[in-house]
Amino acid sequence: MLDGYTQSILIFTGINIIAAYSFYAPFKTGQVSLGQAGFMAVGAYASAILTQKFGLPFPVALAIGGVVAGIVGVVVGFPALRIKGVYLLLLTLGFSEIVQVIVLSWEYVGGAQGFRYISFNPHTLTYTAIIIVALILFFARIERSSLGRAMDSIHQDEVAAEVMGVDVVRIKLLAFGIGAMIAGLAGGLYAHHATFMDSTTFNIMLAVEILTFVVVGGGSTYWGPALGATVLTLLPEFLRTLREWLELLPVAWTNFFPVNRVYDFLHAFLDFENAKRLIVYGIILIVMMIVRPDGLLTRDSLRRLPFTRWKPGHA
Amino acid sequence: MIYQQLINGLMLGASYSLVAIGYTLIFGVLNLLYFAHGEVFMVGAFVGLYLVIYAGVDIYGALLGAMIACGALGIVAVFVAVRPVSKDRPLAPLISTIGLTIVLQNLAVYLIGGRQLAFPETIKQQLYHFGPVTISSVQIFILAVAVTLMVLLWLFIERSKTGRAIRATAENHETAALLGVDVNRVVLITFVIGSGIAGIAGVLDGLKNSSISPFMGLGAAVKGLIVMLLGGLGNVPGAMVAGLMLGMIEILSAAYIGTTERDFFSFLILILILLYKPTGLFGTRTIDQR
Repeated sequence: MLDGYTQSILIFTGINIIAAYSFYAPFKTGQVSLGQAGFMAVGAYASAILTQKFGLPFPVALAIGGVVAGIVGVVVGFPALRIKGVYLLLLTLGFSEIVQVIVLSWEYVGGAQGFRYISFNPHTLTYTAIIIVALILFFARIERSSLGRAMDSIHQDEVAAEVMGVDVVRIKLLAFGIGAMIAGLAGGLYAHHATFMDSTTFNIMLAVEILTFVVVGGGSTYWGPALGATVLTLLPEFLRTLREWLELLPVAWTNFFPVNRVYDFLHAFLDFENAKRLIVYGIILIVMMIVRPDGLLTRDSLRRLPFTRWKPGHA
Repeated sequence: MIYQQLINGLMLGASYSLVAIGYTLIFGVLNLLYFAHGEVFMVGAFVGLYLVIYAGVDIYGALLGAMIACGALGIVAVFVAVRPVSKDRPLAPLISTIGLTIVLQNLAVYLIGGRQLAFPETIKQQLYHFGPVTISSVQIFILAVAVTLMVLLWLFIERSKTGRAIRATAENHETAALLGVDVNRVVLITFVIGSGIAGIAGVLDGLKNSSISPFMGLGAAVKGLIVMLLGGLGNVPGAMVAGLMLGMIEILSAAYIGTTERDFFSFLILILILLYKPTGLFGTRTIDQR
């Protein structure tokens, strides 16, 4: 069995992967949403209310939470059809903020004290894994279906897609709703793992983080979100272990003049507390966007892999 | 009572305006949501604080120092996170400036600690009564600085040659470049001006709330975004007026409805504007220009 730390890291990575896919679904039609934190909150609070106040079993509550988030997604997505780009970004950001304010002032779910003592679900890792596999299969299927091609065509040129007979409104709405539903599932999983949440849990920085997962991983393939979320979640944890590696060096290699100074400096520098780790995280984001603005994985790089017999959709 | 609230709203709004001006200037020339702008505001507040405490300067020195430091930060931002990043991918510069946001915020936490610091009293507190309204000397100072800055900036943008270049670039990059505007230089100048003003806004905010923290940037950034949108993306005078409006709306809703609802109203306004008047109250560009 995995120890608690590893298990917790895996669960948070998994939830982040699911959240990244929730962003990827609308993004596939060109909709950039900062509302995913809000949808996560909707799913989290809906499922937690069902398990805590109505005593429903976790899987049922999780599913209903996802559906509720999906419905809210369609409601938000409908007006969002009219706008795009920066305006959509701001609209969805506003939605996330409004959800936060509602949660803060709603005494039924704890108000400013937060939603406490949510029952802990011991099988979160299993659920997370199942959902991720389902999502990857789902998006792999979409990729080569007519729906996937329609989505790509909307992303590239909405007017041209419309002229070619693609039902732009329906597909954009569908993608937005699916994305919100996936976010709701991620929120439900989070709530029953962390057992506590308040109005700041699903904040703007979370929405921004989800966006960076997909852009850093690569938004043009369905492997990108999973890769981006994994890399960016594990990166801070990885930085933690660097110092331990440094300490593995034999003393004889490091205890003479210039090297010992370098060693001491590195040793002190690699003492990563939270702030320092986040500084490095930010620097890596900047460097990534300079070096690989399309993300780590692009369709080209996938096509060049030797073992891909199948060709992931046309560019 | 209502007059007092309106004055308070004006005070709050003045700092919103100053932050939003930088946003809207930068959005105008680059079509970029410059996420790190709130953190520049925070850096300004800290530079001001440390100048007052350690260099013993007066408030004018603090304002000048914060402006210069933040202007320099603007230059750094351009060279680190804007210029090297490809412009034809709309999300790449967004992410790189988000990276800059994270770096600046956590640098502040690392250097200062994640706590609030008291802002020293640099202006003698004095209350003036005008009929039903009470105004403190600090409030008058803040308002005076904000209004002066806005007037100067407005004159600069409308009257100077550089201002005209900024307006031309905001209207159309390519055309401006063809007509001989050095677009790179305009972007740099815009960042310096916008960041410098945000720095001053940070110091003023410290004066007003008499405390600052490394986390003050995010709130200012979000409010600045709303104001920018309310005034019309890229519209500088629009941002000035919209900031004052949002300040008053927030203060009035906090006074007569409730403090939790205050933020609710600002975001509700954001959404309504997006849906019904996405070009902002004073309108500039059409919705297809992203």
